[in-house]
Amino acid sequence: MNVALFSQLATLGSSVALLFGVVLLCRRSLRAYVEVFRWQSAVLAILLAVVGAFGGVTELYIAAAVFFVLKALLIPRYLERLAQRVGAESESQPYVNITSSLVVAGLLVLLAYAVMRPVVLASGLPTRGGLPLAMGVVFVGLFVLVSRKKALSQIVGFLVLENGVALLALLGTFGIPLIIELGVFLDLLMGFLVMQVFVYQIHGTFESIDVEQLNQLRH
Amino acid sequence: MKFLFLLSPPLLAALLAFLARPCHRTVRWTGAALSLVSLGAALAFARVIVSGGEAPTFGPGELLRIDGLSALLAICVAAVWSLAGFFGPGMGAESGENPAQRRRYHVFVNLFAFAMLLAVSANNVGVLWIALEATTIFSAVLIPLSLTRGSVEASWKYILLSSVGITLAFVGTVLAYFDFVALSGRVENALNWPVLVAAAPRLHPEVMRLAFVFIVVGFGTKAGIAPMHTWLPDAHSEAPPALSAMMSGVLLAVALYAIARWKVVADAALGPAFSGQLLLGLGLFSVAVAAFSLVIQRNYKRMLAYSSIEHTGLICIGLGLGPAGAFAALLHLICHAAAKSMLFLLSGRVLHRYGTTELGGVSGMLQVMPWTGALFLTGVLAIVGLPPFGLFVSEFALIRAGFAAGRPGLMGAVLALLGVGFIAVLRHANRMLYGAFPEGVVAGEGGRWRLAPLFVSVGVLLFLGLMLPPPIEALFRRAAEVVAR
Repeated sequence: MNVALFSQLATLGSSVALLFGVVLLCRRSLRAYVEVFRWQSAVLAILLAVVGAFGGVTELYIAAAVFFVLKALLIPRYLERLAQRVGAESESQPYVNITSSLVVAGLLVLLAYAVMRPVVLASGLPTRGGLPLAMGVVFVGLFVLVSRKKALSQIVGFLVLENGVALLALLGTFGIPLIIELGVFLDLLMGFLVMQVFVYQIHGTFESIDVEQLNQLRH
Repeated sequence: MKFLFLLSPPLLAALLAFLARPCHRTVRWTGAALSLVSLGAALAFARVIVSGGEAPTFGPGELLRIDGLSALLAICVAAVWSLAGFFGPGMGAESGENPAQRRRYHVFVNLFAFAMLLAVSANNVGVLWIALEATTIFSAVLIPLSLTRGSVEASWKYILLSSVGITLAFVGTVLAYFDFVALSGRVENALNWPVLVAAAPRLHPEVMRLAFVFIVVGFGTKAGIAPMHTWLPDAHSEAPPALSAMMSGVLLAVALYAIARWKVVADAALGPAFSGQLLLGLGLFSVAVAAFSLVIQRNYKRMLAYSSIEHTGLICIGLGLGPAGAFAALLHLICHAAAKSMLFLLSGRVLHRYGTTELGGVSGMLQVMPWTGALFLTGVLAIVGLPPFGLFVSEFALIRAGFAAGRPGLMGAVLALLGVGFIAVLRHANRMLYGAFPEGVVAGEGGRWRLAPLFVSVGVLLFLGLMLPPPIEALFRRAAEVVAR
């Protein structure tokens, strides 16, 4: 197989995934958040299949299919329905404003490169160029999670973080064993369902999904 | 076969609770009885280990494996699950839950126990990760059992922070696996502990170091290591008492177990200095944060939660101190599980009688409920580390290991902080136990026989404090050997 092409595709895919993560930071409406997450997941699903084809790991086709159905179709649809039910309050005043968020995102990507240096050096894989980008997606997801106020935005942040980890696992190891992968998907789905129930509960108890109101418990 | 007896009872209990409609007392008692089967299986494993047998394995690709460390933790998990089952979930007819809530409780508490038992008996780091993630989900569902602003807030913070933590632990797992694959290629069962430990000396130290930091931060979030502990006081104080008992008594222990396991791999790759420094630093920080938070507490359930953070910190310090420290840490872990689960179960009775979790609203407990009060006092004396209880012995052994390892400065700091926590907890407990009880509170024990299971905890604490008979010491030794050689 053409190693150079493989390497370029892997880096391209990771860059696009990171780009979607950064785009998330300059959006305000929850609908846009969900849309961005959907596209990022779709890119990752394609990348899974690409790595499967070039790396000769047929298991990855299954993982790609599961990933696509779960993260590009089911979860975004659930999120949209959830947003409709609890009233899509937009992220009008995040803890960190949009301009600063973009600066922070840039710094986080630099940090990802610094952190992943030893890993890239240790690797002989054609996909190694994408590893720091994957870590960048992890960091950006984490940042979305801590800097946004709406419960739904935090869920999207968490899902982006998960996408970053999936990308890291894919590029670094060409997919962890399928059985583990499926277990991880199952856990993710359950976790997501529970979070979704909690959003209803937050909405029911506080009449808003602004987590700033969650401040009863102190010390 | 033993594996079947260990892992199927919680699943059966959950299934039964799911199917039985309406959910009445039989469900609870059957669940409690089934927990004894798991406990028996765990003890049987311990007997095999103590008599010098090989660690038994089970399943395709040796999916499950029980060595000394796993056996010790499995006993601990099964025992606390059993205790919570027999003591009563703290939500019988008297606390006014409806049948649907009761069913939800019984289904998920048993699944929670299953996930923890699976975590400690998993041979595969991936399965361990999946099981730990599942513990978050199953316990998070139960925190807002009765919907209040506090419980909703606590559960949201809990699921979000723990999920992030566990995801970071997955990053660490992936990095370690990446390191393994980069060197050894794709090997059968590469994710199993023995394979991983055997390959560890050849791993890239730089990558392993990064992986271990992610793992400690990730699993440390679940274990309540400061500064990742912020969800813990909220979740432990808002959960139903029986769930608090399990979360504080054994969930922390299971998360620490994961760190201890990975520490073995990291040590083989990097030498013990790196993981030691990291754990000592985080441990000391946790003890410090907890000690000062204990001083300003105004809520007794949060006080118990912060005390758990203090003990988590001590266990981390023990794990960072080499073989002698590991022995002390494991002894501490077991004694803490016994004492803290008892205290959280009792806190349910206190809450029911006084109707408040504020320290200011509780006084004269020894007059109002002499038995509950006496047991609470016993538990408090045990967790602050007074003799003749097991935690005194383990803390003493820990400090001694620290001095032997040539860290007098660190140990001095730990002793001073323990002193702060000691005074704070005793002062709060003093107010709760003595004095006149508030108006409107009815004196009288009520349901005294229900306290009976807790005497097992007191027995364990006294027993481990006064003597360590050869077979039990052998089990602790075998477990400590796994962690540090």
